[in-house]
Amino acid sequence: MITGRRLELATTRDTEFVDVTTHLQAEVERAGLCNGRLFVQSLHTTLGLLVNENEPLLLGDFEALLEKVAPNGSVYLHDDFARRAEVPEDEPANGHAHCRQIFLSPALTLLVEDGRLLLGRWQSVFAVELDGPRQRRLALQLDGDFAAGRPRPELVELELARQLAVDPMAVQLPMRRLVEAGGKRVRPLLVTLGSRLGSKPDPLRTGTLAAAVELIHAATLVHDDYVDESPTRRGQPTVAAEEGPERAIAVGDFYFAKATRVIAELGDGAVTSTIAEAMEAICRAQMDDVALRGSYPGDRASYLQVVRGKTAALMAAACVSGAQLAGAQPEVVDRLRRYGELLGTAFQMADDVVDYSEASGKPAGQDIRQRTLSLPLIYAHEDHEVGPQIRDLLHGELEDADVRRVAELVKVSGALERVGEEARRLVRAAVGELEGVELNGAGAGFVELAHAAVDRVS
Amino acid sequence: MRPAVDIAERDLESLDAIWSGGLGEAWEAYRDGHADGRVALAAALVETGLELQGLGAHTAPAGELLIGDLCLARASRLLADAGDRELQVAFATAVEKVAAQAAAGEPVSPVRELLRAALAK
Repeated sequence: MITGRRLELATTRDTEFVDVTTHLQAEVERAGLCNGRLFVQSLHTTLGLLVNENEPLLLGDFEALLEKVAPNGSVYLHDDFARRAEVPEDEPANGHAHCRQIFLSPALTLLVEDGRLLLGRWQSVFAVELDGPRQRRLALQLDGDFAAGRPRPELVELELARQLAVDPMAVQLPMRRLVEAGGKRVRPLLVTLGSRLGSKPDPLRTGTLAAAVELIHAATLVHDDYVDESPTRRGQPTVAAEEGPERAIAVGDFYFAKATRVIAELGDGAVTSTIAEAMEAICRAQMDDVALRGSYPGDRASYLQVVRGKTAALMAAACVSGAQLAGAQPEVVDRLRRYGELLGTAFQMADDVVDYSEASGKPAGQDIRQRTLSLPLIYAHEDHEVGPQIRDLLHGELEDADVRRVAELVKVSGALERVGEEARRLVRAAVGELEGVELNGAGAGFVELAHAAVDRVS
Repeated sequence: MRPAVDIAERDLESLDAIWSGGLGEAWEAYRDGHADGRVALAAALVETGLELQGLGAHTAPAGELLIGDLCLARASRLLADAGDRELQVAFATAVEKVAAQAAAGEPVSPVRELLRAALAK
């Protein structure tokens, strides 16, 4: 049950039929209610509720009927303030409005199925102002099956813990330290959301796939940190830094293989192929990334080529594989692939911006120090004002002071804002890819996840 | 010299350099015992990838780690295309076994034996 929601309205006329259907539908989606009930209640004695057709002439008929039933200007005892006790100074003469309200409902229960208000073709929901204009409030409560509409991160954590618990200690302990140190779990959440778009979602199989996809991501981090010589990740020593490179390589290999096995055991050939293709794309992109460090800081085209493989490929595969496992239609799978690719690219751009903040969990300026492709640096490098200074600094060995100076120049160039806006544009495009797709109540989850991917500080 | 049959251009993309450095020979060895050239290539890629990464033997430099990763990922894709579920599981289990041994500092089982046993099932 979700309680405490309020819908605020500003009416503009004495009598007014305000169609609130789209607002209520938006509340259902925001709450992730898949199947259940929406309770709507007027918090006023001169504001009623009605379900009927939104046709202007008909609304004129209703208004005329209300006027006939309780005419404005007739004599109402309620308006005889001399006979009433404790009348406020601003009390209006509105007996007609109160009388009209008894012909309307003060509250409604609306059914929700598959994430949609269950309304007939001609039905709209109105808040009926009887004594406006005023500020009005409707109270909302939602009850039913929310788990189906919104992913539940705690289930992913449980499944990850379950999968790790059976592994040999030599690999389990380093991986648990990495997994338990945090992470946004974007990929498993995408698997879970994708699974909502199929006709036969199975929470247990989806959870297994979601955790396996997160383990692939974690395995890539273990190897990347060795390649990049990163001392910390998520505020803790990397596996390579803590355990040594030999063990880090073995831990990464173990979890690549384990995830591959777990996914194969699900027995869905399309899912196996999707994940295998993504793993290959990640590895190719990682090699490209290292190769391109010779022409550091590179250009936007090279950056996008690497990001599509390193980050976007697994995000797209997460969406797609979740949907495939649940038997989604091919056209839905294609839309999800594009959503995931756009989201993944936006996510990496946001990551690049976060690298310039203290809250990143990584040493400040790590991308610069490691000569990792980064879009803010590419844009600043191309800037007429700060570009030449950046080029001079990057030309030689980078001391800590040089890294700090490059970071300052990137900040003053406006590149961070430019990349942030580009990421937000991609997120809007990603959400747009899902328009017209039957989202089975998962719409709010896809939208929230997309926005959270770029509006973050770590 | 690349094989003219069984293997698509895409299957060896970015791996030309290691074909003559042991991958080709490993492929021939698995090819002798298995009819499907792509499955044999998957086995050869797993063996070569783990060797490049030095599991249980030495610390691979970053470049070789990445090529090894690509070998393992390519093998997964080939098995997804050409192998059945049991083979996918058996190959992954073999890699898990040697990776766990390496992580624990134990002697690492011979990869070719493990993969041949998987192919023979």
